[in-house]
Amino acid sequence: MTTAQVRKLKNGIALTVCTIAAFLGLFWLIFILWDVLVHGIGGLHLSLFMNDPAPPGIEGGGLRNAFVGHLIITFFATLIGVPIGILGGTFLAEYARGRKIARVISVLSDIMVSVPSIVIGTFIYAVIVKPVGHFSGWAGAVALAIIMIPVVLRTTEDMLSLVPWTLREAAFALGAPYYKVIIHVVYRAAAAGILTGILLSIARVVGETAPLLFTSFNNSFFSANMNEPVSSLTVTIFQYAMGPYSNWHSQAWAASLMITLFILVLAVLGRLLLAWRYGKRPTI
Amino acid sequence: MNDNNVKIEVKRLHFYYSCGTQALEDISLSVHKNTVTALIGPSGCGKTTFLRCFNRMHDLYPGNRYEGEIWIDKKNILEKDIDHIGLRSKIGMVFQKPTPFPMSIFENIAFGLKLMGIKKKTEIADRVEKALKDAALWEEIGDKLGNFALSLSGGQQQRLCIARAIAVEPEVILMDEPCSALDPIATAKIEDLISELTKRYTVVIVTHNMQQAARVSEYTGFFMMGKLIEFDTTQKIFTAPSNKMTEDYITGRFG
Repeated sequence: MTTAQVRKLKNGIALTVCTIAAFLGLFWLIFILWDVLVHGIGGLHLSLFMNDPAPPGIEGGGLRNAFVGHLIITFFATLIGVPIGILGGTFLAEYARGRKIARVISVLSDIMVSVPSIVIGTFIYAVIVKPVGHFSGWAGAVALAIIMIPVVLRTTEDMLSLVPWTLREAAFALGAPYYKVIIHVVYRAAAAGILTGILLSIARVVGETAPLLFTSFNNSFFSANMNEPVSSLTVTIFQYAMGPYSNWHSQAWAASLMITLFILVLAVLGRLLLAWRYGKRPTI
Repeated sequence: MNDNNVKIEVKRLHFYYSCGTQALEDISLSVHKNTVTALIGPSGCGKTTFLRCFNRMHDLYPGNRYEGEIWIDKKNILEKDIDHIGLRSKIGMVFQKPTPFPMSIFENIAFGLKLMGIKKKTEIADRVEKALKDAALWEEIGDKLGNFALSLSGGQQQRLCIARAIAVEPEVILMDEPCSALDPIATAKIEDLISELTKRYTVVIVTHNMQQAARVSEYTGFFMMGKLIEFDTTQKIFTAPSNKMTEDYITGRFG
């Protein structure tokens, strides 16, 4: 074989290996989505959203409590986590820009993103559930918020750093105080990016089970009281999937499908928003 | 020279960046009321640094240091206790690249007016219209004030920035190479506008373009290596410069 032929062969091998690896990754994603779709679609009835669970072993019933509980917990988690994340990111990108403390916090929150969520669950169990004496929706919301904060914080920091300095200077040159420069000019310029960060952080926590298991726990009845244990989809899926009844299984599949679709929509929406604002090709 | 006509008096100004480099060395000059003063010189000569001293822009970055005095209307603006916000609302600035804010055309101009504390909607609307007329932009975009400012062309964006600066009726307008990102037609429009502005404002303009300095200014300062080599009427600088370096630069022998 000539050198050129050897090169071509090597090129071919590398290309084949890369392609196979890519398809192997994609294969599992599609397999999961397809499997959840096939199993879940049968359990999707209006009653799933309208009824509360039937007693164990009895046919019928739905997961209204879990859907509503999940929404409430996620809502309050967003309410707690997003402002803290945005303000923290603003501090890093604006007020502490270039200072050592900004880099330290930045690195720490990168580490926090990768802390296993069950660790955060047990942490909240220790600092909120144990002292208060019972599981509660609030504990669940706080646990999810803690997972959201570093995600929102880092995206906000990155997006604010992308806003050109000349834009801030132009606002300063008109005699604007720094907080008005940030609120009226910098936030507006980075709005799409920050919103994407928020969406992705919601997508990140909405599928979490472990942090809720130790905090909001579960509730077989409908409850919107955040001071009590509140049912959530993920914990219910966990419980139903382990249970012995076939209608539990089909409801767990249906709930899995709904939550997967929700995350998919959030993630796609986030990426599209970013692509639209920054003019890149959508990379979903 | 009549002393009453002096708007800005710079006395023995030195400027040091936070990294320790001395960017300006012993600059003294006077800017006259209702005139255009052009600052010319090769890249890195300190002309933009000098311009940004007038509205204390360097204070946005820690560690920068001034020495000397800049008197604007009997007040030394290099004093420590100067109110930056008050100063900047009196000294407008137009940047090299157009810097429209990411909001509508109307809001862009209203931004500065709201900062001044104007709350009445009709007054804001009137002053937005007036600023756009003064910036020769009303004819072109008066009917689409709600449009996103970034949808305008580069030249229109730059005139919007000028409108934004004059809407708050500053006393001095600083321009940092306002035409360098624009095509000749847009440049011509802005140059016409600058001459018009001197009826009410004092303009200091940094430019790389010597023809532009000759066209628009009454006074010209030639900078090199952080020093003011020569400062005189534009006519004198361009026809009979007293310094050899000025002559070499103007005749295109370097820079």
